[in-house]
Amino acid sequence: MIEYCDVSLVYPNGVQALSDVNLRVGKGDFLFVVGASGSGKSSLLKLTYRELLPTKGRVFVGQEDVTKTARSAVPYLRRKIGVVYQDFKLLPQKTVWENLAFVLRVTSVPRKEIRKRICEALELVGMMHRCDSFPTELSGGEQQRASIARALVNNPPILIADEPTGNLDPDTSWGIMQILSRINTARGTTVVVATHDNQVVDRMMRRVVAVEGGKIIRDQDRGTYHDEASEPESLCKSELTEY
Amino acid sequence: MALASISTVALSMAILGTFILMVLGSHRFAERQLERFEIAVYLPVGADLADANRVRDEIKSLPLTSKVDLLSRDAEWNKLKLKLNTNIDLGGIANNPLPYALNVESRDSRRTSELADKIGKIKGIDAVNDYKKIYGSVKTIADLVRILGFAASIILCLTTTFIISNAIRLTVFARRHEIRIMQLVGATNWFIRIPLVIEGIVIGAAGAFIAYGLISVSSHYTVGVLQRQVMPILRDISSGVSPTQFMTTLTCTGAAIGALGSYISIRRFLKV
Repeated sequence: MIEYCDVSLVYPNGVQALSDVNLRVGKGDFLFVVGASGSGKSSLLKLTYRELLPTKGRVFVGQEDVTKTARSAVPYLRRKIGVVYQDFKLLPQKTVWENLAFVLRVTSVPRKEIRKRICEALELVGMMHRCDSFPTELSGGEQQRASIARALVNNPPILIADEPTGNLDPDTSWGIMQILSRINTARGTTVVVATHDNQVVDRMMRRVVAVEGGKIIRDQDRGTYHDEASEPESLCKSELTEY
Repeated sequence: MALASISTVALSMAILGTFILMVLGSHRFAERQLERFEIAVYLPVGADLADANRVRDEIKSLPLTSKVDLLSRDAEWNKLKLKLNTNIDLGGIANNPLPYALNVESRDSRRTSELADKIGKIKGIDAVNDYKKIYGSVKTIADLVRILGFAASIILCLTTTFIISNAIRLTVFARRHEIRIMQLVGATNWFIRIPLVIEGIVIGAAGAFIAYGLISVSSHYTVGVLQRQVMPILRDISSGVSPTQFMTTLTCTGAAIGALGSYISIRRFLKV
C-alpha cells in the first residue's frame, strides 16, 4: 500500500530529516511510527501525501510513485489519503457537519451522497450528537474525533495520523486510538500513526517502527514503544540492517 | 477584512478616476483650441467676385477642407471702419480698399497647416494666414498634455493595481488556513481559486462603484463652483464622457483589477 525505497530528505536549511529509509506498509496494516520529537517521523508521513518531496529515493502509494506525481495531480492523490493532525485543522467558522461537507464538496460528491457519508463517518467516531457544534465549542478529544471523521468521510484506503493524541489526556488518547483501531478492523483502512505516546503504543501492541535521527532503527510486529527485547543500542541497529 | 479592502479600492479608484477625467478634460480642451484655428485666405487687390468664387470652389474641392466662407467685402469694410473710427479718420477713402477674403476650416484640426500649404499653391491667391506660430505652440501643448496624461495614467493604473492587489492579499491572507486545509483535503487549485477571484471581482467592482459616487458628488460641488465663479473658461473643460459610460468603465476596471489582484495574491498560497 505504502512503500519507501531508499528515501532521504534534507531540508533547505541543511538538516537531514531522513536517511536511506526503506519501509513497506501493507494493505490493511496498522502501524505506529515512534520516536522522539525531531526524529523524522512526521517528515516520513508527509512524504506520502506530497506535503514534502524526498531529496532522494521513491515513495509509492498503491502503484503510484508520488515523487513523480504532477503538481496538478496532487489533489487527487490527497483524496486517497485521510490525514489527522495534532492541531485538528478544523475550519473554526464551520460546524462539525459543515467541516465534513466541505471535504465532500471539494471532491465533487453528489449532494444526496454527502448526507449519507457524513452520518456514517460521524457515527463511527461517536460524534453525531455534536454535528451542529463549532470546533471552539468542543473539547480536544471531540475536536480530534471530528477531525478523524473528516479524514474518513471520503472513504480513503489510507489514514495517516500525525501525533493525533499529542494534545490530549491519557484517557481521551486511548479513546482516539480505539476509534483508529476500529476503523482499521471495520473498514480495512491502512492506518499509520506517528506518536510519542508510549502508553498508547504499549497497550495497543501493534506493529511499531522506531525512527531515530532520520533512520529506522526498529520494525517490530506487536511491538512496544521501547525495545524491551534488545535494550543495548547495538542490537537495535542490527535489526535495521536486517530490514 | 473585505470592508477594509473595499475602502482601499474605493479611494484608489477615486484618485485614478479623477485623474483620468482631468486628463481627458484637458486633452479635449486642447483639441478644441486647435479646432478654433481657421485659415484666412486673401485674394489680390483688384480680384473680382468671379475670381473669388473660383478660388472658393478650388478650396472646397480639397479633401481636407470642411467649410469655406467667402467674406463680404462691404461687411468687412464696415466692420473695419467701425473698429478704427475713433482712432483714424477714414473719411478720405471713398472706395472699399479691401481685397476678397475667405475663411477656411480644416476637416482635421491637426492638419490645418497641411491644408494651408495646399491652398497656398492655388493660383490667384495673394496670401494665406494659418497662424502657424500660435497654432504650432497650441499643438505642442495639446500633444504634451496627451502624452504626459497617457503616461501618468498608465503609471497611476499600475500603482492602483498594486495597492488593490495588496489590499486583496490581506483578504486572502486572512483565509490562508482555510486555503491550506482545502489543499490538504484534495481541493484542486481552481476549486480554491474561483471563489477568491469572484470575491476579488466583487471587492473591486464595489470599491469602484463607491469611487464613482465619490467623484460624482465631489465634482458636482467643486467643478460647478469653479466653472461658475472662479474661471468661466473652465466651462470648456469637460471629459466628454457620459456618467453612465464613466460608471461602467470605472466599475469594470475595478472588477478587472480585483480579479487580477486576487489571482496574483492566491498564487503564492497555492504552491503545493
